[in-house]
Amino acid sequence: MKTRTLILAAAVAVALAFVPMFGSDVMIQFGINALVLAVLAQSWNILGGFGGYVSFGNSVFYGLGTYGTAIAMTTYNLPFGVGLVIGVVLAMLGAALVGVPILRLRGPYFAIATLGLNGAMMAIFSNLPIAGTNIGLVLPLTRNDTMFYELSLALLVACTLTVFWISRSRYGMGLIAIREDEDAAGTMGVNATLYKVTALILASIFTAVAGGIHAYWSTFVDPASAFDSTLNVRMVIMCVFGGPGTVFGPVIGSFVLSTVYEVLAAQISTAAALLFGVVIVLAVIFMPRGLADIMRDRANFTLRYFIRNIRENRL
Amino acid sequence: MTAPAKTPASRTVIETRGLTKRFQGLVSVNNVSFAIAENETLGVIGPNGAGKTTLVNMISGTLTPSEGEVIFDGARINDVPAFRRAHLGIARTFQVMKPFPGMTVLENVAVGALFGRDGGVKSMAQARESAREWLEFTGLGKRIGVGADSLGGPDRKRLEFAKALAMKPRLLLLDEVMAGLNPVEVDEVVDLIKSIRGQGLAMLVIEHVVKAIRSLSDRVMVLHHGEKIADDDPTTVLEDPRVIEAYLGKRRT
Repeated sequence: MKTRTLILAAAVAVALAFVPMFGSDVMIQFGINALVLAVLAQSWNILGGFGGYVSFGNSVFYGLGTYGTAIAMTTYNLPFGVGLVIGVVLAMLGAALVGVPILRLRGPYFAIATLGLNGAMMAIFSNLPIAGTNIGLVLPLTRNDTMFYELSLALLVACTLTVFWISRSRYGMGLIAIREDEDAAGTMGVNATLYKVTALILASIFTAVAGGIHAYWSTFVDPASAFDSTLNVRMVIMCVFGGPGTVFGPVIGSFVLSTVYEVLAAQISTAAALLFGVVIVLAVIFMPRGLADIMRDRANFTLRYFIRNIRENRL
Repeated sequence: MTAPAKTPASRTVIETRGLTKRFQGLVSVNNVSFAIAENETLGVIGPNGAGKTTLVNMISGTLTPSEGEVIFDGARINDVPAFRRAHLGIARTFQVMKPFPGMTVLENVAVGALFGRDGGVKSMAQARESAREWLEFTGLGKRIGVGADSLGGPDRKRLEFAKALAMKPRLLLLDEVMAGLNPVEVDEVVDLIKSIRGQGLAMLVIEHVVKAIRSLSDRVMVLHHGEKIADDDPTTVLEDPRVIEAYLGKRRT
């Protein structure tokens, strides 16, 4: 990766840190949501983008993060930090327990198996007295949007740095080899099971922290919002839109899509979801390799780029 | 069947005992026993469907044998997963080439250096350096930066070869690395293989090019319908009437 790209990324991160000083309340709140979504897309990128395993179960880690934090703070009156740690530990345990059996499945079978996880967790937490059953939990109110914003930004930076490290490490090479051809990777000495499970656990850490931050900020957790499978769909869309298996693609993708959605919702509230869907369909048809691919070779970014993609998709 | 001509001092690297693989009703490999010693090259020939690739799959760990044993360096490795066999020092090429299409040629080979024998090297810089050397060696030095999916047939064969070599194997399984090459290219690959012999490396070479098999192999084993029908020095085997019959059919008298 070019030094220029890294300097630019660092400058953007620093600039974003100053947004709460100048931005409006609405702006900061939009920022928190966008940053949390970017963390989710970036975490999904670890196993999904580098390892090539499309998971619809990552939102479970988000849910475990929210509930870990919420239960610790309400039932046990523990501080927020301890809540986050509990959430992360829960999510890591979940990732390890679920990952070992499910990551034996390949391709669509893996994706289908992960689809069931949200429903299962929702059913479990709806019946847990400690988690407030299906009514949910109300967290102590803290009106400090700037803190939540900066926390989310710090988390996104940490997550992106982790992905940056992955992209240039032996570990990342192993994951990419698995994505490209798992059997060939195995005969070349890559311990595929270990790599896939650790990738899922790594993703679960950042996803759970994002969930914890969001739970404390929104002060309310219930099974339906914690284990929301559409949240997972958004992670996948944002990551794929930006460029799976790249360092900055998922971040850019989620920022762009969050903004598009926000603008659409403000202009034409009812049709926003529909138009959002149209944007995604067009994106998948015209630029299936994401924004990152376009930026990588800007010289070829002409009409021909789109035509080539359409041809390759046999549309 | 005569006993393989072997120097008594050389150590056996790989050995199979009564190796059998059944796919439902079909017996693909039937009761095959053989051994390859250090510095020895075993050529394996046989008509299509004779079970050559299945045999390699059982040694490299992509398939589990139905019966029999795979013994590497004196230890039974039937239940050892493929990646751990790579760490032990077993490397292979695939007849149907399996480059990692989304990686560059250099990265493809670096994977071998990073994860091969004894778990490979830990440093990316070292892996790239070693990958560069093996690509130079296999004649792909000028194509280091291109995507692996943009390579043509012969270059893909070279890439397979470089990837396996970067793993620093003790046993190298070459599954038809010369298929589809023209005679000049075949000679080049034969020279490459000859130049890596020695240093303890045991090799199993599956090939249809008889000239190449003759010049490379210390011994030639013939498989037919999954069974071993010959295992001897190249000249004896290639003139064996049963071998000729297996390949060309019965001579009409």
